[in-house]
Amino acid sequence: MNAPQARWLQTAERWGRWVENALLFFLLSGLILLASTQILLRNVFSMGLPWSDGAVRLMVLWLALAGGIAASRDRKQIAIDVVTRLLPGRIKRVTAVIAHLFTATVTGLLAWHSVRFVYDSYSFGDTLLGDWTAWILQVILPIGFAAISYRYLLQALQELVGSEP
Amino acid sequence: MILTGVLLLLLVLLGAPLFSVIAASAMLGFYRSEIDLSIMAIEFFGLSEMPILVAIPLFTFAGFILSESNSPQRLVRLSNALLGWLPGGLAIISLASCALFTAFTGASGVTIIALGALLYPALGEAGYDERFNLGLITTSGSLGLLFAPSLPLILYGIVAAVSIDDLFLAGILPGLLMLVLLSVYSFWKNRHVRQSLTKASGREVLSALRESIWELPLPVVVLGGIYSGYFAVSEAAAVTALYVIFVEIIILREIPWRELPRIMRESMVLVGAILMILGVSLASTNYMIDSGVPERLFAIVDNYVGGQASFLFALLIFLLILGAILDIFSAIILVVPLILPVAAQYEVHPIHLGIVFLAAMELGYLTPPVGLNLFISSFRFERSIAEVFRATFPFFLLLVVSVVIIAYWPALSLVLLN
Repeated sequence: MNAPQARWLQTAERWGRWVENALLFFLLSGLILLASTQILLRNVFSMGLPWSDGAVRLMVLWLALAGGIAASRDRKQIAIDVVTRLLPGRIKRVTAVIAHLFTATVTGLLAWHSVRFVYDSYSFGDTLLGDWTAWILQVILPIGFAAISYRYLLQALQELVGSEP
Repeated sequence: MILTGVLLLLLVLLGAPLFSVIAASAMLGFYRSEIDLSIMAIEFFGLSEMPILVAIPLFTFAGFILSESNSPQRLVRLSNALLGWLPGGLAIISLASCALFTAFTGASGVTIIALGALLYPALGEAGYDERFNLGLITTSGSLGLLFAPSLPLILYGIVAAVSIDDLFLAGILPGLLMLVLLSVYSFWKNRHVRQSLTKASGREVLSALRESIWELPLPVVVLGGIYSGYFAVSEAAAVTALYVIFVEIIILREIPWRELPRIMRESMVLVGAILMILGVSLASTNYMIDSGVPERLFAIVDNYVGGQASFLFALLIFLLILGAILDIFSAIILVVPLILPVAAQYEVHPIHLGIVFLAAMELGYLTPPVGLNLFISSFRFERSIAEVFRATFPFFLLLVVSVVIIAYWPALSLVLLN
């Protein structure tokens, strides 16, 4: 890759990581605060927020995908690496390219079908948590899978070019 | 059909992430049954319909905070003050404190790094045999798996749809059995190490207690809250996360605020990796159950297995092999939905099955080729995997004995439930 492209990529990577961290930070902090508030309200004031159970569960879904994106970047997705660890350098790179391209394709498909799912939800005007528009709460599915797909595509390219991220 | 199976297996071995292979197999299955593939998104969205799931990110985060603070040091000091006078006491301290720590940090291997690094040199100085120490610490890294609120227990409860409170109760005696067996062995093996490490000192006990004053309520609040029915598991998780932030960051100030985003990211990377597998497995499991995989599995098993006793034997062999190639979280998510109905045919109680499953998978931490503890110890203490495995072997055999006892003595798991 030539220099300006590499610089553009680096900037994108820096911003990407920043967005991931911010998303994880706000989701997890929000989750801790909301879940604790719930307990306090219930036990001390004998009251509850009607939407909070649903909101907590949706935040866990968002955390799952945001964490999944971060795990893909950090190369910490759960995989079995017994065989690949033993392979010699060149073959290892070929197998890594195959595995990454496969994952990019699968998550790309997941992203596409999530788009269709969210679009349906949008056209039917589905709601969640009372009267919240459902598609806004579901939109993390296509975004998450697309980001993971992009990540594995990038890793496949890096493996081909032979540069470290 | 068989060809695609082989192809997918090959991709797993080439290092493709498990979640992507599971997603691919589910999509292929749905495609063949002419079911619209947006079902993948619908099933994955099912993650937001599981109320207890919130316990996983919260407990994981709390465990990461605890292991980054100085609480491992305080835990060791306190156990030492309480048990150090006992000849052979340090080995028992190591086992007990590692078990407690693992229960709270979720058996992700962090125990060996956080506590093992303190205990390993201390054991050496106290005159214990080098090889014994290596084996002891490596084994201790997953010892608390059966104690509440460990992550695998919670995950099993979610996947098997059984009461997590019951699982927490059921794990106590089997967990203690492992602890006692290993303690007795350590005591016997080191009977020549007569000199006790410290004298019994009321003052040291008091001072260690005072130092740990902030962490001491944690097990009491969490476990007491859950077992007394005051908190639900997910609430206990929220209380733990909030309390740990409050103590380690605000009161003791052992972790600066600016470190918080990093720790959050690291802990959520683990959570994300587990939940990605869980999310796509919701789809693949539904597909497999709809197409009658458990029934076919039962038909195959029934050819070879006569009754409950031989089923349990076959199960243990299977889990031993499974644990040697797959990590505990993926194993729970992938295998439990399939063996649960089969086990029910042989009248194995789902709670008992869970304890057997986790106890047997605990062995997987110690078996090559993917035993996590072996790798972490080998890396941390700069020994070859083979050397670590040899040192761990006597402990491993003892754990095998306890797993067999746990499997064939269901009352040990179930007696506390009533």
